[in-house]
Amino acid sequence: MEDEHCSSSPFAADFSSQKREGIKSSAVHNVAVLRRREIAIAIGKERRDALMLTKRLCRDVTVNNDEGSVESDMIVDEGKTDLNNQTLRAVENLKSSMSYLGKGSLQKKLEALKSLRRLLSKTNVPSIEVAIQAGAVPLLVDCLSFGASDEQLLETAWCLTNIAAGRTEQTESLMPALPMLIAHLGEKSSNRVTEQCAWALGNVAGEGQHPRNILLSQGVLLPLARLMQSDKASTARTSAWALSNLIKGPESKAATELIKINGVSEAILRHLKKQDEELATEVSWVVVYMSALSQLATSMLARNGIIPLLVEKLQGSESTQMLIPVLRSLGNFVAADNYTINSVLVVGQNMTNNVISALVKCLQSGHRILKKEAGWVMSNITAGSIEHKKLAYSSEATVVLLHLLSIATFEIKKEAAYALGNLCVAPREDQSQPDVITDHLVSIVERGCLKGFISLMKSPDIEAARIGLQFLELVLRGMPNGAGPKLVEKEDGIDAMERFQFHENEEIRNMANGLVDRYFGEDYGLDD
Amino acid sequence: MDCNTVTLETLSQCFLATLSPLPEPRRHAESTIATAADQPGFSLAVIRLISAPSAIDDQIRHAAAVNFKNHIRSRWSPSNPPTRDGIPPHSPIPDQEKEQIKNLIVKCMLSAPLRVQSQLSEALSVISSYDFPKLWPNLLPELVCAIKSATDYTVINGLLGAVNSIFKKFRFTYGTTDIRLDLKYCLDNFAAPLLEVFLRTAGGIVNAVSSGGGSPEILRRMFESQRLCCRIFLSLNSVELPEFFEDHMREWMTEFRIYLTTMYPAVIETDGTADNLRAAVCENLQLYMNKNEEEFKDYLSDFTSAVWTLLMTPSTSGSRDRLTITAIKFLTTISTSVHHSLFASPEALQQICHSIVFPNIRAQDEDEEMFEMNYIEYIRRDIEGSDMETRRRIVCELLKGIAVNYREQVMAIVVAHVQTMLSSYLSKPVENWKDKDCAIYLVVSLSTKKASGQMEAAHLIDVVNFFASAIVPELQSHDVNAAPMLKAGALKFFTVFQSQILKQNSVLFISDVIRFLGSESNVVHSYAANCIEKLLILKDNGLPRFSSSDITPFVQSLITNLFKVFQFPESQENHYVMKCVMRLLSVVDISDEVVSPCIGHLSMMLSEVCKNPKNPVFNHYLFEAIAALIGKSCEKNPTLITVFESNLFPVLQSILVNDITEFWPYAFQLFAQLVEISRPPLAQNYMQLFELLLSPDSWKRNANVPALARLLQAYLKKVPNELNSQGRLTQVLGIFNKLISQSSTEELGFYVLNTVVENLNYDVILPYIQNIWNVLFTRLQNQRTVRFIKSLLIFMSLVLVKHGHLVLVDSVNVVQANLFRVILEQVWIPNLQSITGFVEMKLAAVASTKLMCESSSLLDDSAVQVWISMLENIVSLLVKPEQDRVFEDTDVPDISENTGYTPSFVRLRNAGKKEEDPLKEIKDPKEFLVSSLASLSANTPGKWSSVIKIHLNANNKAALHEFCSTYNRSIV
Repeated sequence: MEDEHCSSSPFAADFSSQKREGIKSSAVHNVAVLRRREIAIAIGKERRDALMLTKRLCRDVTVNNDEGSVESDMIVDEGKTDLNNQTLRAVENLKSSMSYLGKGSLQKKLEALKSLRRLLSKTNVPSIEVAIQAGAVPLLVDCLSFGASDEQLLETAWCLTNIAAGRTEQTESLMPALPMLIAHLGEKSSNRVTEQCAWALGNVAGEGQHPRNILLSQGVLLPLARLMQSDKASTARTSAWALSNLIKGPESKAATELIKINGVSEAILRHLKKQDEELATEVSWVVVYMSALSQLATSMLARNGIIPLLVEKLQGSESTQMLIPVLRSLGNFVAADNYTINSVLVVGQNMTNNVISALVKCLQSGHRILKKEAGWVMSNITAGSIEHKKLAYSSEATVVLLHLLSIATFEIKKEAAYALGNLCVAPREDQSQPDVITDHLVSIVERGCLKGFISLMKSPDIEAARIGLQFLELVLRGMPNGAGPKLVEKEDGIDAMERFQFHENEEIRNMANGLVDRYFGEDYGLDD
Repeated sequence: MDCNTVTLETLSQCFLATLSPLPEPRRHAESTIATAADQPGFSLAVIRLISAPSAIDDQIRHAAAVNFKNHIRSRWSPSNPPTRDGIPPHSPIPDQEKEQIKNLIVKCMLSAPLRVQSQLSEALSVISSYDFPKLWPNLLPELVCAIKSATDYTVINGLLGAVNSIFKKFRFTYGTTDIRLDLKYCLDNFAAPLLEVFLRTAGGIVNAVSSGGGSPEILRRMFESQRLCCRIFLSLNSVELPEFFEDHMREWMTEFRIYLTTMYPAVIETDGTADNLRAAVCENLQLYMNKNEEEFKDYLSDFTSAVWTLLMTPSTSGSRDRLTITAIKFLTTISTSVHHSLFASPEALQQICHSIVFPNIRAQDEDEEMFEMNYIEYIRRDIEGSDMETRRRIVCELLKGIAVNYREQVMAIVVAHVQTMLSSYLSKPVENWKDKDCAIYLVVSLSTKKASGQMEAAHLIDVVNFFASAIVPELQSHDVNAAPMLKAGALKFFTVFQSQILKQNSVLFISDVIRFLGSESNVVHSYAANCIEKLLILKDNGLPRFSSSDITPFVQSLITNLFKVFQFPESQENHYVMKCVMRLLSVVDISDEVVSPCIGHLSMMLSEVCKNPKNPVFNHYLFEAIAALIGKSCEKNPTLITVFESNLFPVLQSILVNDITEFWPYAFQLFAQLVEISRPPLAQNYMQLFELLLSPDSWKRNANVPALARLLQAYLKKVPNELNSQGRLTQVLGIFNKLISQSSTEELGFYVLNTVVENLNYDVILPYIQNIWNVLFTRLQNQRTVRFIKSLLIFMSLVLVKHGHLVLVDSVNVVQANLFRVILEQVWIPNLQSITGFVEMKLAAVASTKLMCESSSLLDDSAVQVWISMLENIVSLLVKPEQDRVFEDTDVPDISENTGYTPSFVRLRNAGKKEEDPLKEIKDPKEFLVSSLASLSANTPGKWSSVIKIHLNANNKAALHEFCSTYNRSIV
């Protein structure tokens, strides 16, 4: 077998072996286990709970307290028809109040607005469509004109907020109102008005990239960014939420634009220093998107000292709500910016130990999203320097990850696999280190992780299959005294690799076939 | 090209003519079309023809559509790789024309008849693979709009089919940022419309069924439509669970469940239409179960029982394989998931085994049919692992799955079942042979696979007992043609468990296995050959279990029986059997009397396959067998060469004369082998061949080159002086020149050059050496790739060790004064560490050592820095493992990738040279280094040791020190 794999050279013009060599070097040796993984584009649910949904209604708290509790339960078909009729009447009312020019016209208009607002906030399914059909939008745009009273502006913005919380077409119908909503974000407006306008705009931005682009072209970023710098918690929170909707991608320009605005980076850090968890949650979502999409933002925030703040939140809080965006941000920083791992989370610093123990805590929590996110962050940390690997390896994390690999649900298992796999390979840049960190590999293999990796190979998930295969490669190549093949064989790994013989993914197919050939190929020649 | 009616008419005539049975008009039409295809606007003309309203023959439309698809396939990509043999690539379609095609294709597809539609759909997916979504933003909205407004299910299915093929890529790729962006775009635009059309059709199906069925054809199409929706669902959900699908999971799952639990009218149940949809549903369930257990858990128990019931219900459709397989995969996923306890009860385990697993393992009619009608496919599935998707294999997966958590219970059930099957067989062997077959299949499938195809039946059965009680009776059965599937199973068992059966036991059955070579069943005689072949390579602790003398008693009957197999129908080119022949001839000493009939048989078979080479695997083993026979027998008795020459020359010559290109590389290797064995002077035949070898034409085909270089080497070694006459060396160097000029063949150029340098005296080479250096250094200046530098370094090292350092240094310096020093500092030393391979590394290290210890150019006081850095690099080369020294060199394409369709070179192992090491006298380069340094320093004590002490870096100093103590030398 020896010469079967010796490298090609003028002395061994053996093309068949060159081919094998090619497979080996292109796929198997390319230990992508090392790669840190960024998750910039959200496909799945973002796991923002009730308070922080991408779109939210502004419910009328007082109304609910007074009369709503019974009422909302009673909204059945009949009630719905009733509500539709009332809404229709309210819009008609508003229309006539606006054409009325006599005494008390302002008051009349306000009353009409209020009753429309009440109807639009009454239930979780307000009659938005009816209001739009009846022509509410142009009326409301009128009501936003400059010089109107704060109360009128507030009621109007409130109505628009709830219309914007509706379906796509309903949100899109609000386009004519956007310039005025943005105009009222300015410094001259009262707090309550700006906040409500920000809320309405946040709902519009939550709709998708198209309305987002319109809002951005109308200059929404700057006034919202200023609002986020407010020291009034509710203002900062609402505008942070609206901003997070605005910059969430997939286009990355807005995130970069935002960080360039004076004071934004400082405001983010300032808010994160506060004890206010609701505020920190919203701000963290802004950080999530910035760190996922914008290299500039990532680098600025990291250098301005965001990491210690995130770590502190991670350690000190039990709020799942907040921990999710904090973990996600932290993972992004570690993945996208070497500064974080090389200069902030330095091994030997207390903070680094703290991160690991906080991650272990999340990995052990009962909340699966936390587990998954923490596993992902851990895998990015174990993709760091050799010292990081040693630190993580000697911490509690190893046991916890091994446990998760054997019993957790798939998505968590996969993250644990990445984290454990990374523990065993040395960074390629550092040529003085061997490829495989033998003692880590030996120890986790001895503790029975091979089964878990092989079971991942049987998954229809391509990435899981690849990580399983890559780990197998490490075992085959890296276990001392050539013990790898026997171990793989014992766990029925040959069979698992042979499944990829005809797989559609070329890289995986070549890698699996290359490994089987190399480590289990039949003895073709007998002259060795 | 204008699309006026005349051209359309001409085109249409041409397409019609391409279908002609007469070769003349057909070729003419094909070439006319090929010429037209190079003109701009061709594809538009074709697409107009396809969609022309006039009454064009459907045949023409179809031919045009096929052509259109191929045209798109070969010309859409803006950067076509050049084809082989220097033919320039097809000119790509101009951008403007592409835009027009993209505007037309969907509409054209929708109005086309079904057969044409599928061609256009394929063309569309080819275009999408390049342009979608970024360069084709209209496509998805256009498709969505068409789907929403369409009512005809032929149209809807055409559209869904297109979407399905565009989205398929999400199933097999990683979730990189680019893919996620594309996926997000597709989800934003298609997730909602997909659900909409799915629910709409679901309603349509309910109405149609409740109102008595309506047209079966329409119902069928609606089911197909739902199936396509399910496939698109699978693609969109493959990367991760998208938000939209999580929010609408209930709607999807409700429909899924309906399809699994409802019996539909017979028209769509019996033809498998309903089952196809169900299979697609099961695949989606399996995906969700595998990746999204948590979100899916509310639906799990309902679906488990639905799928379970489905598997238990006898089907009315003929073959339910696809559904059975996907349904079982779903259950397998559950069995290994966090929810495995669904199957924990003893009843459930019993039921899974007895109602699902065991019945599906039993050989069914299709298996028997394949066994008889298509033995190659049967064998591939049965023993070569291409059976991932077969019913038998998949139920074994389920069994292994439940055994992960309930090992003891499951194994007890299986063991009991195996016993039952065996006794049932014994009670009525003729009727119940399938019971035993099932038992053997179970035992083999549940074993763990080991390297070299052997198995280990841990925990399940006692292999030795099972072999004795169940397998031996089959092997000893007198009638080799009775119950062939059972015999095949027994032979398979013997083959995969050989390593666990003691040698003295297995040797008893060799003659029985040889007997089965005479079975009429192709599977059985192939398995018998395979069994013997594996027996011959079986090793215990690295040593062959059977020595040549163990096999000798069987050789005669083996050879007779093996060659007889080739007379059975369908087995004339049976590669399992030829592989066994090859193995036998390379392992066993063949007595001289047997050689002659053997080579007679093989030459005859070779001339037979020359008429129509079709099975490359068989042909390869045939050549290997010949090479093995030559090698083995001539080693003992060189005079036998005349036997080989007389048998082989005619057929080898006919390969060359008749230009059977795929065999040329083999033929040259056999010639090389013969040349090496023969004694000079060489027969006239060989010298004629030598002329052919020196003709530049022979070297034009890449696949020939390694074999020719090998043959050249054989000649150079055998008759070096022949080369010196009649300007032949000039011809050889011309070949070198040609090879070195292309990066894809440069290594072979060096191969030729190395051969010359290694085998000829320097006085012969001297007149040419300047020219050689010029060529090499020019190439070095123009294109400095790592691969080239490595080869150059090896070549220079070879010149040095063969002809001395003075020859090397002086001849290089003749090219240009002081050039060697430049080469040394800029090329040699910096790249020394990139050398790979043991022989190469040793050569480079030894040459470098000689240079630094012998050549005045390095020993000079002015060269201390160079001397030290040479030493640094030699030590690093010797100390560091390869992967730490070498970086991937990606700037040169791999030759093997460029040899796609032309015959490629495959090395014959049995015709291989044994010696490739030009430095056999030096075993250990480390030892050579320290001995050389020790003698050098002994001449001027203190000088070199202090240079080393001051300048060498610490790691290398330590390494050098260690070498010194290992080899007991000192540098004074």
